[in-house]
Amino acid sequence: MFIWLENTSLALWVGTSLWAYPFLLSIHIVGLAVVVGIFSMRDLRLLGLFSALSIDTFSHLSKLAVAGFILNAVSGFLLFTSQASTFVTSVPFLSKLSCIAVGMILAFYIQSRLKTEIQQQTKVLAFVSLICWMAAIVAGRLIAYIF
Amino acid sequence: MFEYFAEAIIDSALTQWIQATYWLWPVMEITHFIGLTLLLGGLIVIDLRMAGFFRSIDPAATHKLLPAVILGFSLNLITGILFFYGDPMRYSINIGFQLKMLLVLLAGINAAMYHWKVDPILQTMDRNAASPPIAKVVAYTSLLSWTGVLLLGRLIPYVGTG
Repeated sequence: MFIWLENTSLALWVGTSLWAYPFLLSIHIVGLAVVVGIFSMRDLRLLGLFSALSIDTFSHLSKLAVAGFILNAVSGFLLFTSQASTFVTSVPFLSKLSCIAVGMILAFYIQSRLKTEIQQQTKVLAFVSLICWMAAIVAGRLIAYIF
Repeated sequence: MFEYFAEAIIDSALTQWIQATYWLWPVMEITHFIGLTLLLGGLIVIDLRMAGFFRSIDPAATHKLLPAVILGFSLNLITGILFFYGDPMRYSINIGFQLKMLLVLLAGINAAMYHWKVDPILQTMDRNAASPPIAKVVAYTSLLSWTGVLLLGRLIPYVGTG
């Protein structure tokens, strides 16, 4: 299936066009800054930093973070197609996707708790979420180094 | 300017150490990425509120995020200098890198405008009031220049020499 995906005209365009790959990488880093930027600020706030800033701030920003996520799901999928059969066996790639999945599930849990007072459990969720997003960055970078 | 500096450091012990330490480059890249999320994460909140979005956020409180922004910038300044030392001839003549540094300079001047002109206004302004024009200009300049920095940085391996 992944070999088939690699040979679709879309994947071939991503892989062979002079500008498609760098263009998609550029979009992917802007999306990364939006998603991980907003979620990490939210997690740090829940862990007790910048306490003058209302927690409610981040319930307003979550739509923007989700928009960044969609941008990166699309650009990430397109980048994936060009080397699908290599990526599916890459440990850093699979680790990155797992971290993102956990991070996004936690984002929905945390979102529902942003309007109440911060509970101890929310702090734990925020801590795990922060670790997930940092680990996603580490794993994502290592895709280029560990095969 | 960058070429002159590159020639001066090319034989430095730091350059040799970075090139000889195989694990260092990915560690620096990871640090640079984490730094950019702290920098941009904080600025997205500060700048969007300054531009007039998310009116329910207290504009005066957004500046509490500045330590995260400054930490992110510091991490990236240090790792950025190490990247340059690690491969001076490649970066110094790269048009993506040169334009990126210009935009960082622009963003720095803009940050000074924020510090001296806009932040004092935000500290005292009525949170329901419309953002003054100078705040909007500084907010959009910040968002656009840092987005440009991200794009140019990512394109350094793909663009030619200047």
